[in-house]
Order: sequence, then structure tokens, then C-alpha cells
Amino acid sequence: MNPAARFLRSRSLVVTVVVLVAAMVLSVFIQARAQIAINDVVDKNARGLYDILVLPEDTGGSGGTLRQPDVVSGTGGITAAELQQIRQVSGVAVAAPISLVSKVVQDAQVPQLKATDYVGYTPNTQAFIDQQGISDAVPKDQWPAPDSVLSDTPKRYRITAKAETSDGKNTTVLFENSAQGTLGQGEVVTEKVPGGTSVRTVAPDGETGIKFPDPAGGTFHGNFDVSIALPTLPQISETVVAVDPVAEQALLGEAGAFLAPLAKAPGASGRNAEEVGQRFMDRMSQGFSAEDVKSGIYHEGLPFKFWSPFLFQYQSAKEAGSLTDDSQVIPMVVRSGTELNLKYSVTIEEIDEAGNTIAEVGTVSRNLGEDYLPFATSKPFELRWPGGKDYNYLLGSGGIQVASGLYQPALWSTDFVSRPEYSAGEAEANGATDQTVIPQGWVQVNKLPEKTLSWQTEPDTTQREPVSEQSYRQSLQAGGETSAPLPFVFGTFDANAVRSAAGDINYLPLGGYDPTPLTLVEDAQGNDVEPVALDPGLSGAGLAVQSAGAITDYTGLAAVRGTSAEDPVIDAIRVRVNAAGSWQSAREEIAAVAGDIAALGLHTEVVAGSAREDVSITVPEYRKDSLGTVSALGTVTQSWVRQGSATGVQNALSSSSIALLALTIGGAALVTAASTVTFTRNRRAEAVTLRAMGWTRGRIRSWFLHELLVGAVAILAVAAVVVALSRNWVTALVSAAALAIYLAAAFTSAALLKPHPRPDSAPAGGDGSALVDNAKTYAARQLLSNRFNSAAVAVSVGVLGAAAGALVAVLVDLPRAVGSSALSVLAVNQLSGLNLALALLGVLASLMLTLITGRFELPRKREQWQILTAMGWGPGLLLQLRRWEAGILGVLALPLAILGSVAVTLVIAPHAVLRAALASVLAVLIWFIVTTRTRK
Amino acid sequence: MIDDPTTNVAGPVDTDEEVQTRSNTIVRPVEHQMPLELRDVTIRYEGGGADPLTIVEHFNLGLEAGTMHCLAGRSGSGKTSILTVAAGLTLPTAGEVLWEGESLDEMDDDEIAERRRALIGYVDQGGALIDGMSALENVLLPAVPDGQVAERTEMAKNLLDLVGLGRRMHHRPVQLSGGERQRVAIARALILGTKVLVVDEPTASLDREHANQIIGILKDTTRDGITVLVATHDQELIAVADSRTYMN
Repeated sequence: MNPAARFLRSRSLVVTVVVLVAAMVLSVFIQARAQIAINDVVDKNARGLYDILVLPEDTGGSGGTLRQPDVVSGTGGITAAELQQIRQVSGVAVAAPISLVSKVVQDAQVPQLKATDYVGYTPNTQAFIDQQGISDAVPKDQWPAPDSVLSDTPKRYRITAKAETSDGKNTTVLFENSAQGTLGQGEVVTEKVPGGTSVRTVAPDGETGIKFPDPAGGTFHGNFDVSIALPTLPQISETVVAVDPVAEQALLGEAGAFLAPLAKAPGASGRNAEEVGQRFMDRMSQGFSAEDVKSGIYHEGLPFKFWSPFLFQYQSAKEAGSLTDDSQVIPMVVRSGTELNLKYSVTIEEIDEAGNTIAEVGTVSRNLGEDYLPFATSKPFELRWPGGKDYNYLLGSGGIQVASGLYQPALWSTDFVSRPEYSAGEAEANGATDQTVIPQGWVQVNKLPEKTLSWQTEPDTTQREPVSEQSYRQSLQAGGETSAPLPFVFGTFDANAVRSAAGDINYLPLGGYDPTPLTLVEDAQGNDVEPVALDPGLSGAGLAVQSAGAITDYTGLAAVRGTSAEDPVIDAIRVRVNAAGSWQSAREEIAAVAGDIAALGLHTEVVAGSAREDVSITVPEYRKDSLGTVSALGTVTQSWVRQGSATGVQNALSSSSIALLALTIGGAALVTAASTVTFTRNRRAEAVTLRAMGWTRGRIRSWFLHELLVGAVAILAVAAVVVALSRNWVTALVSAAALAIYLAAAFTSAALLKPHPRPDSAPAGGDGSALVDNAKTYAARQLLSNRFNSAAVAVSVGVLGAAAGALVAVLVDLPRAVGSSALSVLAVNQLSGLNLALALLGVLASLMLTLITGRFELPRKREQWQILTAMGWGPGLLLQLRRWEAGILGVLALPLAILGSVAVTLVIAPHAVLRAALASVLAVLIWFIVTTRTRK
Repeated sequence: MIDDPTTNVAGPVDTDEEVQTRSNTIVRPVEHQMPLELRDVTIRYEGGGADPLTIVEHFNLGLEAGTMHCLAGRSGSGKTSILTVAAGLTLPTAGEVLWEGESLDEMDDDEIAERRRALIGYVDQGGALIDGMSALENVLLPAVPDGQVAERTEMAKNLLDLVGLGRRMHHRPVQLSGGERQRVAIARALILGTKVLVVDEPTASLDREHANQIIGILKDTTRDGITVLVATHDQELIAVADSRTYMN
């Protein structure tokens, strides 16, 4: 019989080799898939909108660290000439500058409460329609009968106006003011006047109106409404950034289409505020047709809702005398909506003469964050009386309300802004670093206006309940002497859409107009809270700063700040390199371009290969209440950028994947070796027969060795195939190691095969040893009598435990190894299935091989159990016996399992030692359960 | 296979005559309780896909206390199968095995094991000792389940003396000859004061001298009231038996 036939006859041996070979093939296949997946994930997610961030030369820090999202500081440092030089560097596709310009403080409209006082179709109505040329008014016969939420007989009401704001955690009541008076349904009065008949709406007798304290107005009866002026809203500040709209569009791609109006804006010579203002005043004086109103009253390509606020400010500035010959129009693209959380509500109660509440009429409210458009608003900030109806539709297009957003020239200020400062805390296991924001001075937030409306004489400050908040920003250095600039809205943008275009995993901050929200995750006491996104403070000086409210160009920046073309006003330049393809293929070219730019004397950071990372920031000294008590905010998280994340993720995942591969095959090979040695030793009887036939010991050894080498040839063949397919040196190394382990086992077992086995000696001391008197001592005696096989099984179980522990350690270590960036999380999540499969394969292969090794003892055990059964040992006692045998082997294997897993883990993932040790214990336990259940 | 089923089928146990036939064994009347009784036992092995192999069919056997009964016949005639069934190590395909009048069908595995310890001593062909354990420990094996090892140690030594192995009690099976192993096995079967000794080919592969020693020991046990059921083709052993069954 040739060696191959003999090898195949040894089915158990064949099975062990087959299991090892299968484990090799499968694990190499899975590892190869994992490597492909790693490269794919990294390639797809490691290149954001730009590749290099250029900052002024004196910028601290270097690559490979965390980059906070505030890439604009307002302090500049880069000149337009340097920008041009960068654009001329070979390989630069886009160089998009960005700067923080200023902030603009605005006064919102005076809110109004409207109690619809609909009087039906009157002669005056027809006159209005005719006069305005309204063609789409509802025909006379379709007008509803007079209707009003107010009664014919005036009633007394108390109206309470309340404004409150919240940062998401703390709610502050800005004011809560009440006023009361008498209101009733208006009456239509027709009077003969010289030249005709006058029809007007008048308040009923006895109505006193409702007057709030200044600076609010009073009560006014109109054709359709009773309007009650409410306490004014606080001042709202918005930041403005400057970009090169053409370059910015190139940077953003399709998402940058909103910058087109800015790109078409006239140059500095076409922005004289007086000239532009006059042109639009001329248009205004021409009046509007109904068609104009319907189409939006466009002039010079801009809708009325944009140029109306500008004209209002233009007139106000002229009246105030603040407009000079140098005053310029500042074209802006403004954010849709504000991020401020400001709720304005009005509660209406019907009261008696003594002021007691008779009935709750209701409460109406609006939120500034949802209803306000910076610099221009399409509708007035009004609240309807509960139950009131809107009859404006009766007048068709003539019923459209167009109102301005600003009531006086915006106040341009540079009194804020630089980047927040942080101190880095301890690094966590996965490389994440906790930050602590460094407080600056106290600033007053939720500031109510100190303004004087036309009917006021003194600013009203009685409503103010100021709250102090730590400023985490330093003042921006002001530019030169400036003339009053006038903001002019050219278009709008959706901040969240821009943020979305910036990407998620490969997020790179654009610089001020892409929101980077803060999320509160722990309160000041360190307790976890339901994550809540923090809203910006009303002053814009706190930690949570809203994204820029407007974007202008560098001509606008120069006009606002009074700078010249030579001044270094550019805060940062985002450079995209003209290299197509993935991060892998472009990295060398990107590095070369970064080197060329750095040679110009600028600070460069290669941000290709970066990824978003949520940073925990501790915020102390956040608020100070009216009693001066200072409180901390807690811990917030914010999206920062982990530089070099792609490299880290790729290296860590590849290493982990390779470690899993090595452990899987290594573990399986070791157990196969133990199995081979045990199996061969069990064939001593065959050796004795051969010896009896006159074979020499060397011949007998060769006889068995040749048989075992068939297995080695099979392993070698499979190893060659998998190495050829994977083209991976690691696979080659691991396969070679597996083959070497098997060969060592083959030679060892052949050497151990003795044709003249000595009978196992009697117990030490002969009759002095303890008698077998229970299942435990029986099991111990049997294991001792067959100590070689027992040791082999124990070693196999130990290797199984060690492999399981080490595999778990690698899995546990993955999140730490790859870091805490979004790319890491994505990659780990995408690869978790493959890694788990690889680890499970390793454990299963080792478990199977261990069980096979244990089965070599099975015939002998079965024979013994038959004898014991004949001796009256019941099934329960035999089960006890099996458990004791497996238990003792398990206990013997445990130290090897634990020490092995700990040793391996100390090398690859020291922090996971405990879990690895536990996993090895668990693996041994699983073996114990399986082996005691299967041996029947 | 049984050559002629009609002549090998054991008939009902219905006579008080001692019978020695090829087919039926009627040993004693059954009016009173016997230590071991097989009623209408059929042993058939289902051979995966092949035709079933019937070893014995409708076999009856009743043994009185203090008697020795031989199952004689060629190898493969079913002697060992009957012994394992009688010892409760396997259950018959059909029929009933009774120990002191109690049917094994009404017992679970644990109860059978418990009753076997109290009633049956089984001696396998070749002795069937456990390697790694001394002769003394092998003898004491049946005492382990009841935790009586310490109490029975002296008795075990006496039994080993009785079978002539008092000086070999600490030797292991590999250090004993075939006859010695058989004697250790018989001593082991007697350790719990068994009432029925079921012995399979105790003298096979032994020389005459050792075979006679074994026969003497077995015969001696019957004088102590122990019933012996032995399978053998040793004519001398067959001759000393109180009754016999010849099997094809």
C-alpha cells in the first residue's frame, strides 16, 4: 500500500489536514476580501472637497493632528498676491480663499398682533381695487359677509407678550410684558367730504386700544385689521464671510450654484451706494402694476423682496446722514433662515373691569428661527388673533404683503471673532482627545435693542434681563476707516445643503458658512443627557456660534473693513490638486503640491486622507445668572477633522486583518500538529506488528513519515495556490509557518513511535496510591495512565483557548487601533462582518481539530464505559466521569490558554488582555460543553 | 445465521423437566421467583439496508438459585448476545428479561444499573479490565457508584486471595496473564455479593490448568447459592454445569 493510500485510510488524519487546508483557504479568501474592502472604504471616503489647507505662515501646529472647524479667524495673514502665486503652482486645480469679514447687527421688525376686523365689501374697497389696478380681486358678490373676532361691543383684554430663547439646554425669558385695554369690532363710516364720499373704518365708541410700554406702538384700526404693536425683538447679529465666488463654485461643484448671483455682481466701480440707491428709487417711483406684483417686481435681475430692504436702509442712511460718497453696496448671498432659537408668543385674555380673567382667548406664537430671513424677509413678523381669518386673498395679488427686514442701516462690527481656544486633555484608547475650551471674558447675551424708534425719545431698557455668557472668542482686529456700507441681498443659500456637500465621513470645514453644530452630551455634573444640538446665543459671542448669515466677495470685504488690495486679509485658502482618482493614487501629487506652496512661505496642511471626528469639549464657566452665579455647560461634541485618518485606518485594519489571518491559521496548524502526534502514537500496535515482521526501527519510522508527508504535500499544494492567488507576502509567510508546524509534528510523531512500547508503569508507590473510589479519581487515574494523549488534548484545548483569546483581543482592539474618526467607525462597521467571520473561522477550526484529537481516545473510552456499565455504573455516573475527564483536561489547558492569549494580546493589544483571557476561558468552557455532550 | 429457525426457536417454559436440546431450555418450574429469567426473547440486529439478522427467537430460560447453566454452541451462535441481554447490558428485540421476577422493561437505565449492581455480576470474555488500574481497583469498580470502596476493600482482597491473586493485587492488567485477568474479573463480579454470575467464555484461550482453576471457582460460587450463567464451548465446563442449552 503506497503512502497516499495509507494516508487516505487514516480518516481522522485526513480530516485534520482537510480542516487545516479549508481553514487556510477560507481565511486567506476572507482576509483578501477584507483587504479589498479596506482599500475601497478608504479610497471612497478619504478625499474631501479640497486636498490642502493653506494658512498664514505663523499658524501653529502641523499635520497629523486634530483640526478644529474654525479655519477662518478674521485676522488674515495671506495676501491676494500670494493667492495668485498659489494658483500658478503646477497641479493646483482650485485655490479658494476665505475670510471672516465682520458681523452685522440688525433690528428685526416690530412684531404686530392682528385681530382681523373684516368689514366686508365696501365702496371704499372698490375704489382701492380700481386705484391699484388689481385685476384678480375676488368679485364683489363672492366677498363674505362682515366678520370679526372682536365683538360689536368693546371688551376688555389683557395681552401678554413673551419672548424667550434657548440654547437647547437653558431657556431664558427675555421679557414678559402685559398691557390691557378695550377692543371692539370696527365700524364702517361713510362721510360726505368735499369732493365726494369718504368711507373709512373707525374704532367703536369706548375702545381704548391696547398700549404696550415703549418702544412698542399702540393699536391701529385699518381696513381689515386691528393691529397691536408688541414689544420689539432683540437685536440679531449675523456674521459675514468673504469668498471668491468663482473659485468657491469650483470648490463646491453643483452645490455652489447659489454663488452665481455674487459672481455676477458688478465690480467696485458699480457699487456706489448713492448711484445704486438712486436707480432703485427711480424704479420705485414708477409704481407697480398687478403683473409686476405677481412676477415679483424684478429690477436689475433682483426681486423686490431683495431690493426693498436695501431701499429702506438707503433712505434711512440718507436721512441719518451716514451715507457718504464712498459708501458702497455690499452684495451678499444670505442664509435661508436664522439658527437662533427665539420664540415670541402672545397670550390673550378677556378680563373684567377689575382686571380679573373672564376667559382665555388663546395663545399665538412664532419662532424667529423658522420665520426670519436675515437682511430681508418676505413677510411681516405678525401674529394672528386666535380664531382670526386671513382675508387678504380677497384682493388677489394686491393682497401680497411685502415688508422689509431692516428698519435702519445695519451696524457693521468687527467687535468679535477669532477662533475659540482649546486645551487638549488626555488621549483616549482610540486616539480621541478630550478638549477643554478656554473661556475669555464675560459678554452680555440676549441683548435687547437700545434703539430709538421714530416715535420714541429715549431708548427703552426697562425690558432687559441681561444674561452673561463666557465669550470664547477674541475681538477681530478692525480694518481702516470705513464709510457706511449698505448690505444688498443678491441671493440665498441653504447652510445645511452646503454642509451636506462638504461631506460627512471625509468632511472638511469650508470656513464659516457650513454649520458645525455643538451637541450637548453631558451636563455640568458629568451625567449623560439626551443629546441636544445647541443653538447659538443671541449675541453671537458665545461658544455656539451660528454659521455665517451672509457671504460676500473680497470687494465687499475691502469696503466693509477699509482694506486695500495689498493687505493680507485672506484667512485661509483651500486648495484642490489637479489629480484625479482616489486618495491612494493622488497622495504623492498632493504632497508635492503642498511642498511647492509651503515653499512660498505659507503654512500647509495636507487634509486629503482626513476624516470627521467628533470631539468632546468640556465647557466650564458658561453662564452667569443675575445673581452672579457661574455655571458650567457640561460636555459637548463637535465635528472636527482627524488628519491622516486614512493612513491610520488602512494600516490598523490591514494589521488587524493580518493578525486574524495569522492567528486563525497558526492556531489551526498547532492543533493539527497536536492531533497528528496523538494519532500517530495511537498506532503503536501497528508498529509492533511491523517490528515483529522484522522491520528496523528506521524503516518503521519512514513508513509512518511518508504517510504523514502526504498531508504535508497537500498543505504545500494548497498554500502554493492561495499564495499565488493572493499575491501577498503575509499569506506566504503564514502558509509556510503552517506547513513548518505540520512537518515538525510529522517528524516528532514518527520519532516518538516506539515499536516496543513499555506498559505504563504502575502508580507510584504501588499499593500506596489512593484507591479509585469515585468518578473524579477514576478520571484522574485514566488521564494519568494515558498522560501522553491527555497532554496532547490539553495542549490542543489550550491552543484553542489561546487562539480564541487572541482573536477576541484583535476584534476588541479594532476600534482602538483604527482610531475614533468617522472613517474609522465606517470602516470598522463595514469590515466587522468579515473580521468576525475570520475570527469565528479560526475558533471553529481549532475547536473541530481539538474535538478530533479528543476522538482518538474514543474507542478505548467506549470499551471502558462498556465495562463500567457491566459493573453497574449508571448513565449519571458515566456522565459525571466524562465531565471529570473533560474538566481535568480543561483545567490543565486553562493556564496554557490564558497565558497564550495574554502573551499574544500583550503584543498586539495590551489593553484587551483581560477580555482576551476571559475569551480563552470561555473557549475552553465551550469545548468542555461540546465534548461532554458529543461523547456517547 | 441460524440454520433452521424451526429447530432453534425456544419454546415456552412450561415443564419441570430438565431438558438438554438444541432448541429449548426448560430448566426449572417457574412457580416461584427465580433470580434470572428470559421469557420469549428474540434478539434481532437491523443491518442498515441489509436483511435483519435474527440471533435467537422466542428464547426462554429460567434459572434457579445456586445452579450453573451453560450456553454451549459454536462461535456466532448468539451465546454472548443472550448473556448481554441477561445482564441487562442490551435489551432484547422482543420478549422479557426478569431479575428476581422484576421485568427490565419497567426500569430506566439508572434503575437497571442499580439493580445490576445488587444482583448481577458480569464477566466479559477475556476479563475486560480497565487499564491503568490495579487488580484490586478493578475488583472494587462496582463499589464505586455506591461509595463503598473503603468498606469493600478488605472483601476485595479476600476475593483476590480466593481466586489465587492475593499477591498480585497491585498489578495492572498488562502485567497479568489471560487467566489471571479472568480471575480478577470473576472476583470483581462477586464483590457486591452478587446473586447471578453471567460469565462469557471464561476458559477460552486458557491452558487446561488455568481453565480448571476458573471452572473450580465458578462451581464453588454455586455452593454459596449464586446462580451462574456461562457461555462456553469448553466441554469440561459444560460437563460440570447443572443444565445446558446448545445453540446453533
